[in-house]
Amino acid sequence: MSMSLMYSVREGIHGLRRARTATAITVSTVALTLGLLGLFLVLTLNIKHLVDYFRERMAIEVFIDPGLSAEETNRLEHSLGQVEGVETVVFISAEKALERFREELGADLLEILGEYPLPASFQITVKREFRSAAGLEGIARQLHSLSGVEDVVYHGRLYQAIERYSRVILLIDGVLFTAVFLGAVLLIANTLRLTILTQDHLIRNMRLVGATEAFVRRPYLIQGMLQGGIGGFIATLMIWIILAAVGSLFPRLLRIPPWLVFTPIGLGFLLGWMGSRLGVKRFLKS
Amino acid sequence: MIQLKDVWYITGGNQILSGIHIRIEPGEFVCVVGPSGAGKSTLLRLIHMAILPTRGKLIVADYDAQTIKQDEIPYLRRKVGFVFQDFKLLSDRDVYENVAFALWATGVNRRRIRKRVFQILAEVGLSHKRYASVVELSGGEQQRVAIARALANEPFVLLADEPTGNLDPSTTEEILELMKRINAKGTAIIMATHKADLVRSLPARVVSLDKGRISE
Repeated sequence: MSMSLMYSVREGIHGLRRARTATAITVSTVALTLGLLGLFLVLTLNIKHLVDYFRERMAIEVFIDPGLSAEETNRLEHSLGQVEGVETVVFISAEKALERFREELGADLLEILGEYPLPASFQITVKREFRSAAGLEGIARQLHSLSGVEDVVYHGRLYQAIERYSRVILLIDGVLFTAVFLGAVLLIANTLRLTILTQDHLIRNMRLVGATEAFVRRPYLIQGMLQGGIGGFIATLMIWIILAAVGSLFPRLLRIPPWLVFTPIGLGFLLGWMGSRLGVKRFLKS
Repeated sequence: MIQLKDVWYITGGNQILSGIHIRIEPGEFVCVVGPSGAGKSTLLRLIHMAILPTRGKLIVADYDAQTIKQDEIPYLRRKVGFVFQDFKLLSDRDVYENVAFALWATGVNRRRIRKRVFQILAEVGLSHKRYASVVELSGGEQQRVAIARALANEPFVLLADEPTGNLDPSTTEEILELMKRINAKGTAIIMATHKADLVRSLPARVVSLDKGRISE
């Protein structure tokens, strides 16, 4: 490490000590806001996981005219496969449908009714890019128009609701994230202002002996990044403790990707850097 | 070499310096004398390029005030040391750190800093006090620390703005002796003072300044 960088790091750490109260307030606010943000991120990821789970199982059932011959059924299967967005087409015969019903509900409809109660159908899965309420609706409309199709069933409303709520959550996420980020940036900038005010004499001395502006500014940038990084580290600990507690109560509920652990720390450094740049630009006049 | 050609400095409608012509050669000792408000400090600040002339040509070493870029000024200041009446030391650091500060700030490596600080403290006679807090030092000692710091980067000129203004007569004598020794080693000195009698004992060219005008 070069001498001037070592000096800047040391001065950055001294700066934290000099403005102790302001630093403590900033670090705890950053920790709290990033902690909340992290928890919200966990919640969002889990909701997204749930949405993806439903999306992957998005299917359309196409019930066919019971009067279709085997050849007509084959032709229809081929036509269904040609519809844009259709991924797979699986034929479910009336016998197979009954068998599934029996497996799922344990009742034998054939014995009760004396005939196959469920019509033959095609189970259709759609390509990834069509897995939305609008995509399903478009495909269903095309399927319905094919000759030999009696009915097309899919859970359009459910998918619509899922999409709507996931959009709202993402929007809240975005707003919360922006607000927290801006708040923390301004807070760090303000803490630096206090430090800069107390170090006016030191700054004048640096300029007197020929320090470059980059050298004068660097300790404050480091100071801001340290504030953000420490806040991020505390936030990570907070999230880890809360998730461990919740995870032990609901072991199958939470899915936490490993990278999430480092997100608050990285975000802390980033917003520390942004806040200190803003503070230095505003308060450290040449 | 320092050259001022018809330099004017006007601020807030007041003419602080008017048509200054002066040329200072390498290794010269120049005393700028004049009453308070004559423009002595302004002249030194111009040479340090803390302020720039309103009009006229100012050249310090390779730098021209008309063309110098903001990011070149720190490099000029490494060639121009500056000491003040009130020392301007960092009171939360010891003697060693105050001198080393000038070298840290200019990116010198640790080994060279140590060597240079020891050398310069020996030159100003403060080796034995290198780890003393500057607030525990006498005025004369504090000015020696300030001089050591100003010389740390081996400037070609030392600007001194009333360097003995806060010192008693015997300490003043010591500081002037020190400045003579520094000058004898080849560093040019420009000293501003309002005490005309002070300069008589110095091997210096005297430049008189009054109401912003020069009369050698």
